[in-house]
Amino acid sequence: MDIEGLFRTKLEENEMEAGADLTRLVMRRLERKEFLRFNPSRFNIFYAAATAVAITIAGLLIFPSPGDEEQPLATEGKSQQVEQAATDGMKEDTANEENVPLTPSLKEAVNADSKTLTEPATVTARQSETVSPDGKVTESSVTREIRKEEPVLARKTFRALIETSTSAGCVPLSVKFSYPSTGSLTADWSFGDGGKSDENTPDYIYDLPGTYIVSLTLTDEKGQKSSAATRIDVWPAPKAEFEIRKNKIAEGEEELIFTNHSTGAVRYHWNFGDGTSSSESDPQHTYQAYGRYDVRLTVYSEQGCADSVIVTDIFTDKGMFLRFPTAFLPNTGGPTGGYYNRSTDEANQVFHPVASGVASYNLKIYNKTGLLVFESSDLEMGWDGYYKGQLCPPGVYVWKVRGTYRNGQAIVMAGDVTLISY
Amino acid sequence: MSDQHIIEGCIRHNRKAQQLLWKQYSGYLLGVCMRYATDRPEAEDMLQEAFLRIFFNLGEYSGTGSFKGWLRKVTVNTAITYYHRNLRHKHHVDIDEYVTAETGTVGFEEDFYSAEDLYRVLGELSPGYRMVFNLYTVDGYKHQEIAEMLGIDVNTSKSQYSRARAILRKKLEALAKMKDKYT
Repeated sequence: MDIEGLFRTKLEENEMEAGADLTRLVMRRLERKEFLRFNPSRFNIFYAAATAVAITIAGLLIFPSPGDEEQPLATEGKSQQVEQAATDGMKEDTANEENVPLTPSLKEAVNADSKTLTEPATVTARQSETVSPDGKVTESSVTREIRKEEPVLARKTFRALIETSTSAGCVPLSVKFSYPSTGSLTADWSFGDGGKSDENTPDYIYDLPGTYIVSLTLTDEKGQKSSAATRIDVWPAPKAEFEIRKNKIAEGEEELIFTNHSTGAVRYHWNFGDGTSSSESDPQHTYQAYGRYDVRLTVYSEQGCADSVIVTDIFTDKGMFLRFPTAFLPNTGGPTGGYYNRSTDEANQVFHPVASGVASYNLKIYNKTGLLVFESSDLEMGWDGYYKGQLCPPGVYVWKVRGTYRNGQAIVMAGDVTLISY
Repeated sequence: MSDQHIIEGCIRHNRKAQQLLWKQYSGYLLGVCMRYATDRPEAEDMLQEAFLRIFFNLGEYSGTGSFKGWLRKVTVNTAITYYHRNLRHKHHVDIDEYVTAETGTVGFEEDFYSAEDLYRVLGELSPGYRMVFNLYTVDGYKHQEIAEMLGIDVNTSKSQYSRARAILRKKLEALAKMKDKYT
């Protein structure tokens, strides 16, 4: 059974016992969730209470203290937020319970800034334009500094500036961050992917490709703040992958065809393990000598990120053999010379081996009296059954072979063959 | 009580029907979750989420097609959501898990391995490989569909599948050797 069949038959219908604890847990979560969802068929005292509380709050908001003009505006904003929260809650039920955190770092940073900014609206807008919900940046932006004027305090004594060990690199990318320090400042880093740090010189590793905006907020003892941001590009790594097919050119002559399945790569380097290499995408290769080879493919992305994969032992010595028939039927019309090829020797008139991977070869054939009747060092040259122009009598003949395979392995073989006659 | 009764009961939020649904299918769906999880606790987490989804979305089951199949689909989708959510924390690049050419086609004997053995070797795979292998082999999705579900390239799906397969083969063979030694 193959691996797919094994997993399918064993696991597709397999049942496991769900314990009592798990049962209780699920039922409790179910009850809680049902309660949180409004459902007229299960209307109960809790809903009544919740409604009463809601009405009370609404009442307080709708009847503000007289003479205050800003109050109604604020209440409008608040009730909108309440509504928003309510609909969010409904939606969340269908998806999952936990909220996916949306770059709290950046948002917080921006909010904190806008308190002290003279023009909070414009800066906030610029920030939200470039930052998408997953914290990655969709639009290119260069290192820039967010500067604010403190309305109360007259002058800033320091400015935040980010220094990085690198601004771009292949995933996983390790970056060392620092800032030129002047006096004792408290640092607050956010790395653009949800990661944060309060170290002065943090090391951070990005393990997903993307563009990240790193921001730094420095605070001194008096509470003065200054922020800076910079961009880090993390390039995706390519994936090396290939497939090998053997293409038989002739008996014992194999050509290997490499099919490239790599992704994200633009440059390739093949090392065939026999001292040769290629930079083609889908190369073909014929090994000169038999043996085992490890083939390594290294691929590079546009930005130069690399990945490699090795396939070991791709070519074994299975391709080497030498086999002889046990009988043959010579042509009675006269010697054929012994040269043969498959298409002309269908009648089996020449005694010859089937071979693959043979480098050198010597065949000797003797008759019953020990007389050498035939000798050949050419695989293409077999015995036609004649000795000195005369057809040998039918019977058993003995043969011996010495030689080497292409990988250097010695060949020593012996056997017999029956010469048949009509 | 037939499936139809249970479904109707669950839509009405009948507690008894909900318990029956759980009793009838939790074992089967836990089996599904086990395939997609690293270990049993993770599978139980997945199962809880899947069941909450099932309870609240039963109305969407059209009634045509197998109910069990629908339950399985919702569970597999939950596993995919779970995978996406945990992707960030468990992201590994498997540098050492390169493929060695498969030697021969050794068959696997069905009775030799227990379901627990198979869950364990699946659990040891990296999450991405496990997703692709399960979706393709056991749940019968096509590479194109898997690529869309996981948000990856079709070729990535294919290559991850063949790598997963090679790794599983190696692990199963190692397990067989170990078993031979102790029996």
